[in-house]
Amino acid sequence: MSVTSLLENYSEFRHFHPVDDVPHNPYKWAMSIDLDACSGCNACSVACYAENNLPVVGREGFAHGQAMHWMRIERYWDEDGREFPDQGAQFLPMMCQQCEAAPCETVCPVGATNHTPDGINSQIYNRCIGSRYCSANCPYKVRYFNWYDYPTTDNVWPAEMNQQLNPDVTVRGKGVMEKCTFCIQRVTVAKNNAKNEGRLIHDGDVQTACQQACPTSAISFGNLVDPESKVYKQWKAQQVELDKDAQIKDKEEGGSELRGYRIFEELRPYPSVMYLERVRESAV
Amino acid sequence: MNSGSIKQLKKPLAIRLGEQTVLAKSLVMAEHPFDRRDFLKVLGWGGAAVALSGCGNGSVEDGKETVVSYVETNDYMIPSISVYFNSTCTQCDAGCSITGRIREGRVLKLEGNPDSTINRGKTCGLGQAGVQHHYNPDRVREPLLRTGDSGEAITWEKAYALIAEKMKDVSGEEIAFLSGGVSGHLKVLLGNYLDSFRSKNHFVYEAIAPAVMRAANKKSYGVEMPRFNISKAKVVLSFGADFLGAWVSPVHFSQQYAQFRKGDEDGQRGVLVQIESKMTLTGANADRWLVVRPGTEGILALGIINALGAAGLRLSGDVAGAVKGYDKARVSKDTGVSAEQIDKIVALLKARTPSLVLAGSAAEGYAHGSQNAAAINLLNQVLGNVGKTVEAAEVVPFPQMAPTTGNTAALKKLNDGLAAGKYKVLFSYAANPVFTAPGAMKFKDNLAKAGFKVVFAHYLDETALQADLVLPLDSALEDWGTQVPEYLATCAQINIQQPLMEKLHANTDGKGTRGMGDILLTLLKQRRAEEYKGFADYYAYLRGALLKNKVALGGHKVDDDTFWNETLSKGIIKLEGHVSALSSRSGTAGLSLPSPAAIDAQYPLQLIPSVNASLRDGRHTNQPWLQESPDPLTTIVWDSWVEIHPRKAAELGIEEGDIVEVTGKNGSVKVQAYLFPGIHPDAISIPLGRGHEALGRYAKGYGVNPFQILDAVFDKETGELALHETRVKVSKTGSRVIVVKDEGPVGGRQMGKKIAARLPSDKVKLSEEI
Repeated sequence: MSVTSLLENYSEFRHFHPVDDVPHNPYKWAMSIDLDACSGCNACSVACYAENNLPVVGREGFAHGQAMHWMRIERYWDEDGREFPDQGAQFLPMMCQQCEAAPCETVCPVGATNHTPDGINSQIYNRCIGSRYCSANCPYKVRYFNWYDYPTTDNVWPAEMNQQLNPDVTVRGKGVMEKCTFCIQRVTVAKNNAKNEGRLIHDGDVQTACQQACPTSAISFGNLVDPESKVYKQWKAQQVELDKDAQIKDKEEGGSELRGYRIFEELRPYPSVMYLERVRESAV
Repeated sequence: MNSGSIKQLKKPLAIRLGEQTVLAKSLVMAEHPFDRRDFLKVLGWGGAAVALSGCGNGSVEDGKETVVSYVETNDYMIPSISVYFNSTCTQCDAGCSITGRIREGRVLKLEGNPDSTINRGKTCGLGQAGVQHHYNPDRVREPLLRTGDSGEAITWEKAYALIAEKMKDVSGEEIAFLSGGVSGHLKVLLGNYLDSFRSKNHFVYEAIAPAVMRAANKKSYGVEMPRFNISKAKVVLSFGADFLGAWVSPVHFSQQYAQFRKGDEDGQRGVLVQIESKMTLTGANADRWLVVRPGTEGILALGIINALGAAGLRLSGDVAGAVKGYDKARVSKDTGVSAEQIDKIVALLKARTPSLVLAGSAAEGYAHGSQNAAAINLLNQVLGNVGKTVEAAEVVPFPQMAPTTGNTAALKKLNDGLAAGKYKVLFSYAANPVFTAPGAMKFKDNLAKAGFKVVFAHYLDETALQADLVLPLDSALEDWGTQVPEYLATCAQINIQQPLMEKLHANTDGKGTRGMGDILLTLLKQRRAEEYKGFADYYAYLRGALLKNKVALGGHKVDDDTFWNETLSKGIIKLEGHVSALSSRSGTAGLSLPSPAAIDAQYPLQLIPSVNASLRDGRHTNQPWLQESPDPLTTIVWDSWVEIHPRKAAELGIEEGDIVEVTGKNGSVKVQAYLFPGIHPDAISIPLGRGHEALGRYAKGYGVNPFQILDAVFDKETGELALHETRVKVSKTGSRVIVVKDEGPVGGRQMGKKIAARLPSDKVKLSEEI
């Protein structure tokens, strides 16, 4: 196959995600996040630091945009020009959306970021050369670069603090990109346990760290191809389909009454995280 | 880890292994603090090597130690397999039960214990950071004695001897014991120690505890802390109660809030209306956030009652009399809330029942705070919520273990005593008054007048730096304890605290950290040796005390060891509590609210010291996850800021990042400005918790401490500090910084994209959702 042939007939060779003829099987990890329940408290974010060995970069680092929070809470205000935000603020937990056709994957010069059979966008640390193309191409800005060698940086993990590091999660060195993994280490443990029992993972066997901490249970995580899972049921009830870049329900006149939506769906990354719109009382 | 140092722990620990509950009579752990190299050796340089950072304190490479693998692995110490112990979170006093994940003897992560009715398996960010309290590099590791300006490390033996000597000739009157909120057996021991001197000088001080609300509740409902059923309410009208952030039991209330929003029982979504002068996290989640002139919350509550009466709700004679003057026009003028808005609230309260009205710290923080809270409680009574959404909580049937509560009124009493030179010996535990006392109290100067100051400390905080003797404490994850939470969710319970790992700074050379219970027991033995000689340590005391009450604690069918192991395994003792009905006296007697204060020409702005859910009163500021966790509303990290409404800022010519000087009668602070729409234009707000001059590397030198500029104004009824009564002026200093925050350069705008989307409630059918 020549390069010319490849370029001329690209659509034949191009590999699409999601593929409807060979769907992820038996697992496709996905989330749904209820913004009406989310209070913006940040527990998920701190839990992520605890679980995934995220370095604390300090004031200087944060000022330089080097924060490593895989999970962050974005806060938005109404833009109607009123003097006081009398309908409160809007909070949005934002982490890697584990896109099916991830913009970050196609630009990696070394294939360090790729798509797993479970439908997770994975980052291979020892393959990463730190080009940061993926970060530049990510519409959600959820990829984080190790500008320093944090394990040897002062006061990141000083003596004793290093004993808290989770042995199931690699501590990243300087010059590699990192991001939310949907707590792959927890998924792996659950997979092994299920395998030992000769079964597949049941809904609820595995929780991500953010989901487990969330005081309002706003986050659901599970297997999107398992009809018994809560995530599957929620996506179905909300009529959000993974492989669409615009949902049929949104074409209804007057807009849909269903709350489910995906952020930047129109860019066709096919994200695996569905958000449920925040609700505000119309009577007051 | 050579085999000689491994010994059987005499203490039986209960372990949850995976999903199965396994009870173990003994757990083998290393005697010495665990270090990284030891684990690698155990693992035979296995896969975990990559996961651990490269700054060990072992010396295998130097050939000083040998690698010894487990020929025979110890029970529950299987490399790479986690075990789970239940304990209790002590990051705040809500009493959430936690499950620690332990691997190779190290505690790695804390999760909520699903069996707790308080937190039901959930945790907050503050709770998550509990491991950073334990592993903190700035913990005090040995007893420190001051000699003049210098300090030296001494042994515990010497420290105890010193205390015995100092206590020899003092009377009970000359002793003062300052502590944060304590409960359970620690409280019993503390009380007994003071009793042994016939001293009644136990001062309980929690800087941001809702003390005024407790007093107001006692008056209105007959109990200080009733149960608030948020999930049962259809409307929650909250006067500055930040129940999703830092108020009383936020993890519990957050779950209730989620149920309230889903309308679990009938599919009708609950409506939250928040009334406050500075937007809290709860306010940010409200359907309607109403900005109110600072201090006029009570007037608005009475105005709503008046309007409810006008709208047809039958008011009793005394209530109608009390609210007579509060017509909409006047209330609207006083509070800044429009008459139209009052009508909407009234219509909502009439249409949807039951409702729930909460009086939070924002309403309490004034000289007339008790009156505000009483007026707000009256609204609950008028709406018939008492007995429905405000219920009597169960009470733990061991009053001697019930939590002690207190706030600045107690500190003021202590401060007056100190100023008068009354105390020869002062103890301080779980409080940092040098940092949290309002500057006007001059607490630090008065503290110097105490003869001998003993501070029990995890860190060298501001108060410990003033001590003559600093005694280092075990972390909450190393210590034993029992705890009775002040706010009980659905049943009465006693929480168990047990070590999740061996001590990091063990008692070598007679130094190292010790548990507070052990210290009190030793001190008690100095006084009443006969009575306490049967208890080798606090563990033995606890075990003995709980086993003595085995039947009352629900263990009548099992033998002692089983009961004890089950108790530790569960981490919670659930009890049949007794409930006494709430009294529903309408508290109109003596209800009088002052008109809003005229604006002070010299100090025109009201200072609102805000409480951040992570940093609270500043005791945990040295936990870097919390420093780097953005404030939910401003997204600022690692620093303090002053919130100013954009309109006021424009008036004063202030832009974001301007360093401004906030000056009150009792001093000033220089802090970066942040333009914040969720605040009354006549108020400014600085968060509490930062501005440490000590505590540790992650806290010292970051931000400013608004406690230092607070005026000493007190609530007229309870004598508690009126936290919001300080008036200030703001002036530009001319310098400017870039505010370090998480939000992007366009601030909180979505730029026309559907990012964080929203639907009005009449479009959504929640009952059909999954």
